[in-house]
Amino acid sequence: MIDDPSAIRERAAAVHEAGATLRTATIDQRAAWLAESADWLLRRASSQSAALAETTGLSVLMVDWAARTTLRTIDAQALLTLASQARQSGREPIAMLSVILAGNVFTASVRGIVVPLLLGVPVLVKSSSRETLFPAMLRDALHRTDPRLGAAMDLVAFPGGDPEREAALVQSAEAVAVYGSDETVESIKARCGDRVLIAHGHGVSAAYCGSHALSQARIDRTIAALSLDICAYDQRGCLSPQVIYLEAPRDRPALEFAERLAAEGLEPLTEALPRGPLPAAVGAAQAQWRGVAEVEGTLIRGDTFAICVRDQEPIRWSPGYRNVSIVPTAGLGAAFDAMRPFAANLKCLGTDGASSAAVEKELSRRDVFHAYACKLGQMQAPPLDAPADGMPIWYGLLRV
Amino acid sequence: MSERASFRGRIEAMIADFEAGQTVDPALRDALIEDLARWQATRIPEYGRMQRRGPWPPALPTDVFRFRRIAAHPENQDIRVFRSSGTTSAERSIHVYRDLSLYDSAARAAARHMLFPDVDRIRLVVLAPRESEVPDSSLDYMLARFAEWFGTECTWAWDDGKLDLDTMTEELRRAEESGEPVALLGTSFAFVHAEDGLGNRRFALPPKSRMMQTGGYKGRSREVEAGALLDAITDRYDVPPAFIINEFGATELSSQLYETTLREEIEGTRGPRRLWAPSWVRATPVDPDTLEPVRGDAVGILRIDDCANLDSVCCIQTADLARRLDDGIVVLGRAAGATPRGCSLAVDEALGPT
Repeated sequence: MIDDPSAIRERAAAVHEAGATLRTATIDQRAAWLAESADWLLRRASSQSAALAETTGLSVLMVDWAARTTLRTIDAQALLTLASQARQSGREPIAMLSVILAGNVFTASVRGIVVPLLLGVPVLVKSSSRETLFPAMLRDALHRTDPRLGAAMDLVAFPGGDPEREAALVQSAEAVAVYGSDETVESIKARCGDRVLIAHGHGVSAAYCGSHALSQARIDRTIAALSLDICAYDQRGCLSPQVIYLEAPRDRPALEFAERLAAEGLEPLTEALPRGPLPAAVGAAQAQWRGVAEVEGTLIRGDTFAICVRDQEPIRWSPGYRNVSIVPTAGLGAAFDAMRPFAANLKCLGTDGASSAAVEKELSRRDVFHAYACKLGQMQAPPLDAPADGMPIWYGLLRV
Repeated sequence: MSERASFRGRIEAMIADFEAGQTVDPALRDALIEDLARWQATRIPEYGRMQRRGPWPPALPTDVFRFRRIAAHPENQDIRVFRSSGTTSAERSIHVYRDLSLYDSAARAAARHMLFPDVDRIRLVVLAPRESEVPDSSLDYMLARFAEWFGTECTWAWDDGKLDLDTMTEELRRAEESGEPVALLGTSFAFVHAEDGLGNRRFALPPKSRMMQTGGYKGRSREVEAGALLDAITDRYDVPPAFIINEFGATELSSQLYETTLREEIEGTRGPRRLWAPSWVRATPVDPDTLEPVRGDAVGILRIDDCANLDSVCCIQTADLARRLDDGIVVLGRAAGATPRGCSLAVDEALGPT
């Protein structure tokens, strides 16, 4: 179904108008509604996991995991804490936000819609043409919880790159949030005029494991956490680690760790959180990446994953879908030097607990990095208030 | 006799047998691929690092040709370097040769069998640059050889880096008037640009005229669906669809695959339009996870084992999607997101946006 420009403008006007009513509700009310909506949506997603697996290309178990880990972050207390942080600025919410979603991580719509609604900002959402089911379920959840909340969010659908429809989408908005490729972001930017553009363009993530993480006492936890980060959403999201920088002790080389990661971490997850079907185009890219990895490094293959142990240069970005590089490094400084070429696109740096303070310090010390740090095992399950692209999650939702 | 000479002899014999009309046993080809790959793995370190899985030798991804020089001989023995198109060196595959005679034998035998089975020589009109203008293009090299091997005369409808529509028109009108058939050879892009530029000019080319187009659209704009282009070409030049065929080649290969329709039309046997691989080539869609042949007509990624790749690697993993159809294959195009490559792109860069 493709909405025509007049229908998009009508929905935008209705959502814009509903914003005034939404803002008459208190923050406490809005937080309670949103938490209730998340509860209902979680139950609905669970009952519809097969359909969601079909539309997202993930396995049913992965859909369940993704919905659970994302929606459980939407609790009333976390919402109130976030609202309190945002309101410290004393600024007013904008009148309306338009959001353009990408199709790679289906739950990305949650934070992108819940946070503005919490702050009293109504949202018109263009869902990905690949995945419309979950945003529709979210809209239903909001409607069901409270009509004032439901009226403040609506969906439109049309193929990307349509100038007339994109213009209709942003026309009534005070800010526009875009999730997608750099090309999509640029295309929308051209239509935004003086509206605030909240760009979530192309990005990659990496992980850092210091030597402490490989100690006898901690290595099992490190393997489990890293495996989850690699497998979550089949490594399709920009928060998925593409490269793991590993400070491996001399007596325990990186290859040994990679073999354990494969056997004890990734292999068991092929059953616990199976990979979705491999699209043909990704399969072609995967075959190229794995072959190059074999030529340039050492490749460990599983049925639905591969690990390449290789030098830090050249960087070879994988097509995702559980194809990851391990790069031995001398330490944190060397890892940051290695990441410098893609610092501007680094979204998240997962790190072992013992290294997290040092990682935070390095991130704040090096201006070119805008990534946020998080613990291994949580890269794909950011808390509600995690920054996005170096900015607070409410960036653009409050008037300057 | 050196091992290389021995392999070369086996490959030449296989091509010669094919040219002589003898049936080449696929088992012989498979054994040659096996032996050749084993030898190449000992001579080319990059290939030697690849692990065997399943019944066949490992296939080297085409991307490796972008990053490394893949050759069983030292650089000072290179006599020719072919590069794929692309705007940066990282996007361009490089295939080096110490000897082009096998390339020539393979190209001549395949083209004779599939493109010129019914004519000894024919007038050629080439919609691509001359070999001297783009010496690192394997396509332009091949077309120049076609002019020598198959042309009564050859006109390059190409001038100053772009398609020369006036020369093309002049040559086609001359063919119409003389009644002498003509073979029009070029990239898919060149045919599209001709469609865009020729306006109302239409032709009634003599019987036995034919077209060979090569290359996909490489993710570029102005893509024309294959069936639509076939219809447009048929309509514009009055050449029957069976006489309009695709050639599939790649910088990383020394042999070419051709669509079957022209030969089958001449033989009076009609099958579906599909690519035919010469008997020294094995073309197989493989599963991207296991890299083993897919079952039936499932879509896989195209692996090509080309015995004529004597001095590089004969087992090549492309990024093209393909499926089996009868005794041939159908290439479904390059996967979105895979590196655009190919001769077709270079020509489009020269032609500019449409």
